[in-house]
Amino acid sequence: MNPLTDNAIMLKVKNGDLDKLGLLFERHHRSLFGFLFHMTGQRELSEDMAQNVFYRILKYKHAFRGDGEFKTWMYHLARNVINDNGRAVKRTVKHQEVTNLAEEIAGSYLADESIQKKQELALLKNAMNNLQPESREILILSKFQELKYHEIAAIMDITEGAVKVRVHRALHQLKNVYLQIAN
Amino acid sequence: MNCENDKAFISSWINNEMTAAERTAFEQHLLTCTECRQELEATQQVWKLMGEIPAPAASADMPVQFQGMLEQYKESQTVTTKPNPLRVLVDKLRQLWLLQPGMQLAYTIVLIVIGIGAGSLLNTQGGNKQEIAALSSQVHEMKEMMMLSLLENPSASERIRGVSYSSEIKTANKEVIEALLSTLNNDQNVNVRLITLEALTQYAGEPSVREGLVKSIVQQESPLVQSALADIMLKLQEKRSVQSFKKLLQQKDLNNAIRNKIEQTISGLI
Repeated sequence: MNPLTDNAIMLKVKNGDLDKLGLLFERHHRSLFGFLFHMTGQRELSEDMAQNVFYRILKYKHAFRGDGEFKTWMYHLARNVINDNGRAVKRTVKHQEVTNLAEEIAGSYLADESIQKKQELALLKNAMNNLQPESREILILSKFQELKYHEIAAIMDITEGAVKVRVHRALHQLKNVYLQIAN
Repeated sequence: MNCENDKAFISSWINNEMTAAERTAFEQHLLTCTECRQELEATQQVWKLMGEIPAPAASADMPVQFQGMLEQYKESQTVTTKPNPLRVLVDKLRQLWLLQPGMQLAYTIVLIVIGIGAGSLLNTQGGNKQEIAALSSQVHEMKEMMMLSLLENPSASERIRGVSYSSEIKTANKEVIEALLSTLNNDQNVNVRLITLEALTQYAGEPSVREGLVKSIVQQESPLVQSALADIMLKLQEKRSVQSFKKLLQQKDLNNAIRNKIEQTISGLI
């Protein structure tokens, strides 16, 4: 049996079959949570925000026309949620970067990694937090969410060419900052 | 090949966002340019490392919380959608209405026609007319009574008010005219008499009024009233008044100005 596409499910939700949203939640909540976590660095906040994104999907379901991908629409709403949380989030990231980093890296996820790798990752994360929020966002979308340039363009409402330029600039900057800190 | 330009391709190459032609050209350039090769390697390393930045897994509570949120939303929807059938109907009607401006015009015309029809139908029904006539005659009677009682009031201003009521009584009856004539002849106040005279000229068409006015000429002592009477007689061309004016001229203490006026009036009437 051919599983339904995201868009087909979302159109059902739009037409009143609200329970179908559960399928979309099941498919996407992990990556959405990942995106929010990388953006905010806060686990509980990210979970709340992910719920908030799905609440908005329900609330604004009439605005879903089905001409774009559901996924890009979801990230679009997620960005709005992040913006609505505003500077408070950005400030916490800056504040948290040093304190939580060591604990996090030393945490259970990396129990079997070498100490050197842990250090490298800590440095890279530090470098990430030194980027402009916009640069960090575009790298997160590209790397963690594995979105193609044309999808990022749709989410950020810019051209694909602009995405190409921005990704390059951000990645170049990240590499330089990382090497600078590492040496 | 321009090296700066090619560096911009590094991230595109890593992300596999290149056309086949771009890719071939870039890879060819890499073979010859050590700088670009090093840059690519360093970037690729960072990019790869970035993928290893840990993130916690989404908590298992999330789907539960989501279901809770969904149920809550559905409940809030059913509350607001309960009066829906009616609202849907109203919306549909409104849409229908908005979609057809011609219908609006038609309804307007139909309503106007109904209005005019109903109006003329009501007008032809005699019942109302009779009622109105009865009411207006009652009002008429009341005004007459008011007037008559006011004329006997000791205060001059009240009597003036009484006289002025007579201007609202279109068809004065005998009683009213008598009352006015007696006021004209007997009231002590000149102003009251002048107003009464004015009121009486309204009914100058009545023979009894004319007669009364002519008779009144000799009874007036105030030059003001005499002069006003002279004016009225001239206006009415009442020849019978000549006799009375001549009598007036015989009075020795008559005001000189009035004497002249009366003489003019007499010549105007003859």
